[in-house]
Amino acid sequence: MRFTIPGFGKGTIPLVAVAVVLAVLPVVGIAQRWLLYLLLFFVYLAIANMWNLHCGYSGLITMCFPAFIGLGGYTMVIAAWVGIPIPLGIIAGAMVAVLFALLISFPVFRLGGVYFAIGTLILPEVMKQVFLLWRPVGEGAVGKGAGYMLKGATAFSLGDVYWMALAVGIGSIIAMRFVLNSRLGLGLAAIRDNDKTAASSGVGVFRLKLYSFMMGAFVTGLAGAIYYVRQAYIEPVSAFSISWSMTAIIAAVVGGLRTEQGPIVGTIIVVFLHFLLARYPGYSLILQGVILIAVMLAAPQGIVGVIDRLRGIRVHRATLRLATSIADRIKGKGNM
Amino acid sequence: MTGISDLATPVLMGILLGGLYVLIALGLSMVFGVMRLINVAHGDLVILASYLAFFAMSGEIMRHKLAFGSDPLLSLIVVIPIMFGIGYAIQKFLMSRAFEISMEAPLLIAFGLSLVIQNTCQRFWTPLSRRLITPYALESISLGSVTLPQMYFLDFIAAVVVVLLLREFLNRTYLGKAINATSQNKRAAHLMGVNTGRVYGFAFGIAMATAALAGVFLGLTFPFTPTSGVSFLIIAFGVVIIGGLGSMLGTFVGGMILGLARTLGGYLLDPAAQTLILYLLVLVVLAARPQGIFGVKRT
Repeated sequence: MRFTIPGFGKGTIPLVAVAVVLAVLPVVGIAQRWLLYLLLFFVYLAIANMWNLHCGYSGLITMCFPAFIGLGGYTMVIAAWVGIPIPLGIIAGAMVAVLFALLISFPVFRLGGVYFAIGTLILPEVMKQVFLLWRPVGEGAVGKGAGYMLKGATAFSLGDVYWMALAVGIGSIIAMRFVLNSRLGLGLAAIRDNDKTAASSGVGVFRLKLYSFMMGAFVTGLAGAIYYVRQAYIEPVSAFSISWSMTAIIAAVVGGLRTEQGPIVGTIIVVFLHFLLARYPGYSLILQGVILIAVMLAAPQGIVGVIDRLRGIRVHRATLRLATSIADRIKGKGNM
Repeated sequence: MTGISDLATPVLMGILLGGLYVLIALGLSMVFGVMRLINVAHGDLVILASYLAFFAMSGEIMRHKLAFGSDPLLSLIVVIPIMFGIGYAIQKFLMSRAFEISMEAPLLIAFGLSLVIQNTCQRFWTPLSRRLITPYALESISLGSVTLPQMYFLDFIAAVVVVLLLREFLNRTYLGKAINATSQNKRAAHLMGVNTGRVYGFAFGIAMATAALAGVFLGLTFPFTPTSGVSFLIIAFGVVIIGGLGSMLGTFVGGMILGLARTLGGYLLDPAAQTLILYLLVLVVLAARPQGIFGVKRT
């Protein structure tokens, strides 16, 4: 399996420069419309990055991101309802998503490959049913469950929410870099390539997968909570909708699984299509489905993968590094 | 108030509902058993068949109304071949290549298909909830103290007939035997002169033909929307998991168990929580025994 892992230092300066430019955009008075596009871009980017971490690097075809996103959003909204400040609620939302991930990891990690995908696919549907039946606080307008308005949403301007989204988006890129350059990333790559060999080489398969799973839950939970600060309204059907997973899959796959830049490129395409075809809602999704199928068949390595190949950068560095780390271990220096 | 007689309604209803679940699950089971592919677009393909029958019945498409109307059951004459063709094409043009790419490729392509089908249905027939309403779909049958919609009985009869026909087909015809052989050992079947590529195409086509039947009976029994697919995918998957692969009897028992879980759960606990109980049951079975209760672990 070939994939690229750029050094941690490489590209740090451009990343910081881009982040600074993006951060001052609301101050210099960019059109609200553009802020909105970018906000959505960062939320989707964080989710796509985490899907790349799971499917591309950890061998987990995770389909339960909508559960993390919905839980993040609901926790934040309910926290605001009982008087907890929204920024604290966002953190709480991410923590609840992580707790949920921890709770479900024991049953779902028993499932391999495609079974894992189906097992996790059921979870958002379960949460949707739970929140359709259960109204944790306050009286519903009609019946049980139903939606919540976010109390105190007006205290945050579009610029404020934009900054939060920017932080999560850039944060997810840094997190990916950190993981890929750590022993965690190497262990995960080993698990993905062959979990039995990895286990017999002393990689803690369950533990590493769990770290990756919980990290995904934290970031998507955070992104979900921030998204619902902007929406200022949450209801179960869209919060736990499978379309969150679809967006993540399309962005990661079209851009390029197992590449660091892939989700960025893929998310740009998804957001671009979303707004370009905003007046014809169904067609954008039909087109995205067709693109996903076409890319999967014609160029499964995605756009960035194809570009890398064209440029002749076929780095085996990760495999090499894994071999070195195992060698270190044998010498008694390493501790994976 | 609670007694044996009160339980008669949910029990009978659950068993009959199980018939519909079996019908929905047959296609998923076949594709899963023969090609080792979990077709995550299965639910959406079933709903597509419901919409095709709806179109044949009402002539409604994209806010136009064409001047024709046919009984949903009669429309099967057209809907079954269409769905068979779609199935054959999916296997021939998409899945056969996907298997060579990577483990996750077939799954991701199926997700792409699901997205396309859902949104196409939404474009053509709006997100509104639809139902195939015919005179016989509205009637009820009374058995002693129990009165149930006639469609429940028809669903069950259809399931029994289709399961028996499919079993005979798989055991007696050349194509059926070839499908069985290919599912057991593709290489050996190929060496025995079976055109495995074509067998895969036919297997997917037959699976979609049963999905067409399932879609029409589903539409006659319950209302549906373009996004109903996920829910029926989970139910069908539950039936297959409980029943195990390659066992028609197991599939039937799986359908009954889920049907009963839904109606009894609704009756004993809370009617609003029916779907939740069903999903949780599927999740528990999946976590406890991924190879199924009746299934044998295959390598």
